[in-house]
Amino acid sequence: MTKIPQRGALINSEKGLQNSLLTFLKKAAEKKLFDAIMLPMQVPSGDSFAWILIKDMQLLDEATPIAPIMPVNAAKAVKRLTRKGEGSSKIAVLIKPCEVRACVELAKLNQIRTEDIIILSYDCLGALPMQDYIKDPVWGKQEFSAILESKNWNSQFVKPVCKICDKFSLSASDLHFGIIDEQLLAIANSEKGETLLAGMDMKADQELENWKQYIRKIRTKRLASKAETFEVIKTKVAGFANLLDTFSECIGCHNCQSACPICYCRQCYFDSAVSKPNSDVVLMRAEQRGGVSLPLDKIMFHTGRMAHMSLSCISCGLCSDACPVNIPVAKIFSYVASETQKTFEYTAGESFGDALPMKEYKPEELGELGKLVQNAEIQEGGHE
Amino acid sequence: MSDKIGIYVCECGPNISSKVDIERILEEIAALEDFRDKELIVKQHKLLCSVAGKAFLEEEIKANELTHLICAACSPRDHDSTFKEVCKKAGLNPYMYKIVNIREQCAWVISDKEKATDKAIQYIHAGMDRVVYQQPLIEKQLDSNPDVLVIGGGIAGLQSALTLAGKNRRVFLVEKSAELGGTSIHFQKLLPRQGSDTATRNRKIKEVNKNPYIKVFTSTELSKIVGFLGNFEIVLKNSENDSETELLAGAVVLANGFQQANPQDFEGYNYTDNDEVYSALEIEKMYSETNQITMKSGELPKTVALVHCVGRKEVGYCSKICCNYLIKISDYLQSISSDIEIIDLFQDMCLPEKEDQEYYEELAARVIHSQRVTGTKVAGNKLTYTGINGRETTIEPDMIILAPAIIPAADNVHFANLLNIELHETGFFQEAHIKINPVSTNTDGVFVVGANRGACSISDAVIQAQAAAGKVLTQLIPGQKIIPEVMVSEILEAYCTGCQTCLEVCAYGAIYYDAERGISVVNEAICRGCGNCVGSCPSGSIRTRHFTNPQLYQEVKEALRK
Repeated sequence: MTKIPQRGALINSEKGLQNSLLTFLKKAAEKKLFDAIMLPMQVPSGDSFAWILIKDMQLLDEATPIAPIMPVNAAKAVKRLTRKGEGSSKIAVLIKPCEVRACVELAKLNQIRTEDIIILSYDCLGALPMQDYIKDPVWGKQEFSAILESKNWNSQFVKPVCKICDKFSLSASDLHFGIIDEQLLAIANSEKGETLLAGMDMKADQELENWKQYIRKIRTKRLASKAETFEVIKTKVAGFANLLDTFSECIGCHNCQSACPICYCRQCYFDSAVSKPNSDVVLMRAEQRGGVSLPLDKIMFHTGRMAHMSLSCISCGLCSDACPVNIPVAKIFSYVASETQKTFEYTAGESFGDALPMKEYKPEELGELGKLVQNAEIQEGGHE
Repeated sequence: MSDKIGIYVCECGPNISSKVDIERILEEIAALEDFRDKELIVKQHKLLCSVAGKAFLEEEIKANELTHLICAACSPRDHDSTFKEVCKKAGLNPYMYKIVNIREQCAWVISDKEKATDKAIQYIHAGMDRVVYQQPLIEKQLDSNPDVLVIGGGIAGLQSALTLAGKNRRVFLVEKSAELGGTSIHFQKLLPRQGSDTATRNRKIKEVNKNPYIKVFTSTELSKIVGFLGNFEIVLKNSENDSETELLAGAVVLANGFQQANPQDFEGYNYTDNDEVYSALEIEKMYSETNQITMKSGELPKTVALVHCVGRKEVGYCSKICCNYLIKISDYLQSISSDIEIIDLFQDMCLPEKEDQEYYEELAARVIHSQRVTGTKVAGNKLTYTGINGRETTIEPDMIILAPAIIPAADNVHFANLLNIELHETGFFQEAHIKINPVSTNTDGVFVVGANRGACSISDAVIQAQAAAGKVLTQLIPGQKIIPEVMVSEILEAYCTGCQTCLEVCAYGAIYYDAERGISVVNEAICRGCGNCVGSCPSGSIRTRHFTNPQLYQEVKEALRK
């Protein structure tokens, strides 16, 4: 990340968070600081929200800058906007910090061109679980408004990963909206962000110390509950027996993989012909173990997916939203990701400048591998 | 049932037959009658790799019209290519055959004959499962390009170019500075007693410039190169106007030279530009430009100290040429004025060529006061040396001339990466073998000559240049065909996401990104089929021919069945 900004500009937020953000965006659109903007908008039935790329700024009135749910991680939408061909317009996107992080990872994998977009983010109070929301959208909208209204950082209704999220604030976005009690601060976090603020004739004259302290307090609490949650989840994935137990309910729909913004492959290895063995092989496996669960390779799928994407997992929780049988995939993946990322001294989504550990090819890593093996041996010794 | 798999078990004399029950192998394999609806022909032979064995195999392939062949024999390292050749002769595509190693992996490592036989049967079965998934691959022939790229316009580069052009070989000579000559262009004299003087060097430059087979590119650097012996694709960049030139060549002679260490980088050498302390190269430049060796005041020095071995301990090697050139500098000094007192402080005297000793002794008798020391320090204009008796003496001569260590050129790392050649721990290039292959590198078709592989004299540079030219002329023959690897990688467009991870791991620069289609593409002429990209591809969109997932899966599955 570039240097942490020291000052921000104060925004009038008397009319509530959603309205203040809309007012800001409308003004920026009037000043032609971007050519298009991508925002969540309620779908016609009123039961869900979708990402809409707005060219006609009149439509801004119908947008919901902070949607109560996250049906699609914004990074997936941004990928569609920027992956192929150079864009000629400046597109602003207002997204959550975890979505910014997904964008960062996808940019490193050459799936997103950041040149074409201005990323705006905000201190995120979380999102409601998809399944809770669609059961009763009216309740959902009311509850979420209440969370925003009261700045309830400890809501019991948000997604489980949101409850333990410690990266809910300033991210690698260009402009970040900081929330502190009744105040809203616009914080430029890159040159693009500074240009945008300057274009709005806004002066970054507010010290950010209070806001930083406010965020730090929330983060400390979140880190504690994260540690607690991980202690529990650890036992669910330690060893084959526990994995088997945890994933035995999996119906092999691969929804978690389709929803995952990091799973960017056109075809998943686990959907390819290689993982669909001939029937004689299936029979052979049944013969060896006495019986085999079908469809095949449930644990293989999940552990394989972990191996493929956990270094870039940004804990957005969409996998859990997508799971029809309520396996706590998001918590599990989030925990495993925290461990794998620790191993590589890497934090997914932190900065556009960090190289992906698996994309860098360094001969000295052979030495590191030796170290890892050594450490593992020491740890094993410790258990005795 | 048109497909026929021939399975031939080699006795390898007693090597296999005494440890493995071949009869049982034949029985059990033949019993797999309905193996994937293929007809099986199972036989044994005393020694398949012998002349008789090869003839037998050839006859069997032809007579039975085999579509697939298994040789259950030794390690593929021994005879894989032998049996491939038999296939070619018999008209069977060599990629429809598979060697199964029942010698090293069964007979030689398992003492229990029954168990060794079981394992052999299982491995042959695995080989059969693989071979039916194999596909014929067609080898192509490419014309090889006999032209040569020479990098560096110093003595070594000039000589390489001239020797190659002497056999009418087209040479592209690339020099990064504006003129040819290299470091020695600054020398007023080469070593006069060896009969070489500046005229020799200037003549070489002239010859190069007018030779119709040599095209000289000055102010030019190598910006990109991919390929292999016989087929390098090269991009040169002119540093003055940024223009690019694309070339093809079959070999590369790298003669990028050396640099002289900065004495101030070594401990104990503290002085500024205002002090009367000079490196040998500064003196060479001064003498060649002004015909004089003077102090900053413009006056001639009365006393000059010559200091050998500056930084030798730190770099860890003798720079070979310094003793010689300090003697030459003494010669310059005495020719300027016979009154100059020359104090020569050496630690070890290195005079390797047959005339060096005589030259030194002649000057030493007249003008050089040589003294063996164990260490030297410079502080401003003061020079302190430690004699062999351990006593320190400080003197303040009018001028101090240092002979700093020869160190690798700054661009050695750049060239090592670009040309995929190894560096020695000193930072000089690593020869393929210092004694038996001293100008070759670990990359076929890339040669290193001159001081980029270690300090060397002008005569050594010339010898090496001629050696490399000889290598090129014998390895790269006009009209010779190249058969590129056919077991190469291919990227499946439908699955590639264009993340370019494969570009990072390709050691041959064989993959490029096609921005138009948003995918990565393999240049098959350059790919060596190592499979790095296959392992790195997150989407599984790359496969290496003859080592595809289904092929490996079938083999491994069968090998692990029990």
